[in-house]
Amino acid sequence: MRLSFVLLSSLLAAGEAFAGQLSIQQARFSVLGSDASQLRLEPISLAPANKAKPVHLGASDTLKLTFTVVAKEQDPDAEPKGLQTHQTFVRFHDVQSGEEGVVPVRVAQNGKAKFELNMARPPSALPPTPLQGNETAPLSVTLLLGSFEHSPYSLELFDLYLPPSQPAPEHPDEKTFHSQPEIHHTFRPEQKVPSKFVSGLAALIVAGGPWVVLLGLLSQVPLSTPHLLSPSVLPFTISLTALEALLFYYWVDLKLGQVLAYGAVLGLVTTITGRQALQKRGEWRLQGAQKK
Amino acid sequence: MAPKSSAATKQHATPAPAAAPEASPAAAGNALQSLLNAYNQNTSPRLKLIDAFLVFLMISGVLQFLYCVLVTNFPFNAFLAGFGSCVGQFVLTASLRSQVNPANRNEFKDISPERAFADFALGSIVLHFFVYNFLG
Amino acid sequence: MLLRRAAALLALVLTACARSSTGDSVLVVLDPSLDKDAYSTFWAGLTDKGYNLTFRTAKEAQPEIIQDEVAQFSHVVVFAPESKNLAQDLTPQALVSLLDKGTNLLLALSPSKQTTINTLASEFSLVLPPPGTPLISHFPARDAPATVVPVSPPAAHPVLSSGLPPVWFSGVPFAYTPNPLLIPILSAPAESFAADTSSDSGADAVFESADRAGEGLWAGSSLSLVAGFQATTGARVTFVGGVETFSDEFAQKELPQGKSSGNKQFAEDVAGWTFQETNALRIDKVEHHRVNETEPREMYTTNDNVVFTLHVSKFNPIKDTWEPYSGIKDMQLEFTMLDPHIRTSLPPIPGKAGEYSVAFRVPDRHGVFKFVVNHKRKGWTHLESTTVVPVVPPRHDEYPRFLSAAWPYYIGAMSTSAAFVLFVALWLSGDDREGRKKGLKTE
Repeated sequence: MRLSFVLLSSLLAAGEAFAGQLSIQQARFSVLGSDASQLRLEPISLAPANKAKPVHLGASDTLKLTFTVVAKEQDPDAEPKGLQTHQTFVRFHDVQSGEEGVVPVRVAQNGKAKFELNMARPPSALPPTPLQGNETAPLSVTLLLGSFEHSPYSLELFDLYLPPSQPAPEHPDEKTFHSQPEIHHTFRPEQKVPSKFVSGLAALIVAGGPWVVLLGLLSQVPLSTPHLLSPSVLPFTISLTALEALLFYYWVDLKLGQVLAYGAVLGLVTTITGRQALQKRGEWRLQGAQKK
Repeated sequence: MAPKSSAATKQHATPAPAAAPEASPAAAGNALQSLLNAYNQNTSPRLKLIDAFLVFLMISGVLQFLYCVLVTNFPFNAFLAGFGSCVGQFVLTASLRSQVNPANRNEFKDISPERAFADFALGSIVLHFFVYNFLG
Repeated sequence: MLLRRAAALLALVLTACARSSTGDSVLVVLDPSLDKDAYSTFWAGLTDKGYNLTFRTAKEAQPEIIQDEVAQFSHVVVFAPESKNLAQDLTPQALVSLLDKGTNLLLALSPSKQTTINTLASEFSLVLPPPGTPLISHFPARDAPATVVPVSPPAAHPVLSSGLPPVWFSGVPFAYTPNPLLIPILSAPAESFAADTSSDSGADAVFESADRAGEGLWAGSSLSLVAGFQATTGARVTFVGGVETFSDEFAQKELPQGKSSGNKQFAEDVAGWTFQETNALRIDKVEHHRVNETEPREMYTTNDNVVFTLHVSKFNPIKDTWEPYSGIKDMQLEFTMLDPHIRTSLPPIPGKAGEYSVAFRVPDRHGVFKFVVNHKRKGWTHLESTTVVPVVPPRHDEYPRFLSAAWPYYIGAMSTSAAFVLFVALWLSGDDREGRKKGLKTE
């Protein structure tokens, strides 16, 4: 679009300042294989609408471009004559990446120009063509003619597909100047919690089973509990129960410091009641032994 | 002096009657039954009480272990606390049993059953403290 | 009368207020041969904005730029393309140290001589062609010489006004090696090239120059004409390939299409960016707290849900104030311990000017973490912020309790306790005689 605008404006301006308009004649391009066999040979049309089909070059193919630079005089009947221009460049432009390479073409005094692009020895100016998917991006090839004396001329030749090459070097910090890929932390999986029904059932079994067995066994034992409410034993039983209750309550709600404080008091009480109760027990045991 | 002598008499008195009825029927299949009978006859209620408690602890521990293996070991600290309370209590109770068993009177001459029980009670309270501490 | 005077005063204050975010004193260093009046539009533009211009020639030593290690000017303009050497305080080292002190520089390269500034440019990743090879373009056909080139500015550029008409340029183009701190502002036209010949008979020379070892052809839009560089200190330096870009002549020169050129606006844009009027950002405040809380924590627990909020302001050169700025769409937050464990976007909050916020779950790794915002975009002040925050595992009493999965264990422990109590009661209340009797009975 812009190029055609430039072209148009250059055509318009041509009349005023310059001796004539630059152009080319007898332009054609050919693609040669590595064994110099001709794979393609086509003339180049000067009408932008008749742009040649895209050109594919293999890793050892050669692109040849020949043309004659001429200046069209203002007089339409005058025979255009070949000439050497200040600027005769072939521009390779990757429209997608913006990468660009410009290679000069040697033009003889009579305007004859020959350009060769040998992919076995590509010029360093060629833009990088990294693989995108399984193809390289096409390079738009443009011929640029410029002169101090004539109006400039540019012609879009064709799209060129080159063998893949290394991508353009990038500064190591370049990626920090763009949005970087997001990183998500992989959390450890949540603990699998069995259904409450299973846990509840198991809790019931743990709670009930052993107790059924215990009570069953105790019922088989001829137990007599004459001292259950004995004033010497009962305080010890109660204080031990209280200690257990304290420990249970510790699990439910208390802090370590609290349980140690209460426990110390209760422990002291338990020691006293225990001493008393066990002394009594000892007496009863000795009595029982003596009775025997 | 008296308990010592009674224990001594009991020591060789106990196995003798147990062996006598067992050997004579010689019903090989009934070995378990006779063992049970001998236990029922020769064990004091106090030891039976302990044994019942031991069985209770064992079943309780086994059930928790099965739950841990079959269903979930999470939270593991709770399993350790619950299972450990059974195992620890079992060990303490078994110690109590061996100390108050008249058959072992000779081995624990200096430890009265009361002292053994006091140790047991103290040990249990400390154990339960750690169990509840660890239950989470 | 009084009212009118007040209005005039107000207008004066308003215009005088419009200036840079870093200060308004400018030292302009000019070639003795350079006609100061030929750039009056540019100077007037700066003065109107409120800058205090101090002029000095390239060889003069007064006024001093750095006095007692303190930079005396907020900005330094060096338009001295004809002076091979500058004064003692304008050596490349001195200019670099100025950048370290936060002084902004606007420097003109010389197309014809190897000046101090040209030497300095190579320190900023710029590669200049040999002296005496100016930019030439035969496109489009025009009345002007081939070395006076109309250049279309990029359609959208962070530094330049949008819709800027083509800009006249005359000077030296330069290549540059990849450097993310470098911001090409004006690229050479695709059809242009640098050459030292001035007639068509130089064609062979142009061709051969491309073959010369390693240099290649200086041609095409990969060359730059004006490039900015933002130092890590935040100071900005802009290299201009030709000083005439700022001249009155180019500002008034008509384009080939007959429209007026964009040079005046371009010069203002470039100076505005260089002097940190535009694209100047700063972080005002960083906040972090747990979701549903307002105060920051000394440390966070693994798996906490944390809200991180950043307050950003942008300098408004018209009002001379910092204003909350919500225009950054691609800000990112990293939560880092050695490596980023989390990198997530930090979007602006609708309705809250200048606030960027995100809530995320703290990883289940404990250690010393950092909230890191390192927002670097070409042409903008870099926003960097690091907040260290330790992440600890839950305290012993912060784990979930009374889990259903553990019911059997809880019951087991309680059951043991209950059985213990029962056992104790039975044991203590038992009768000794009976036991003995039974024992005797069996005997």
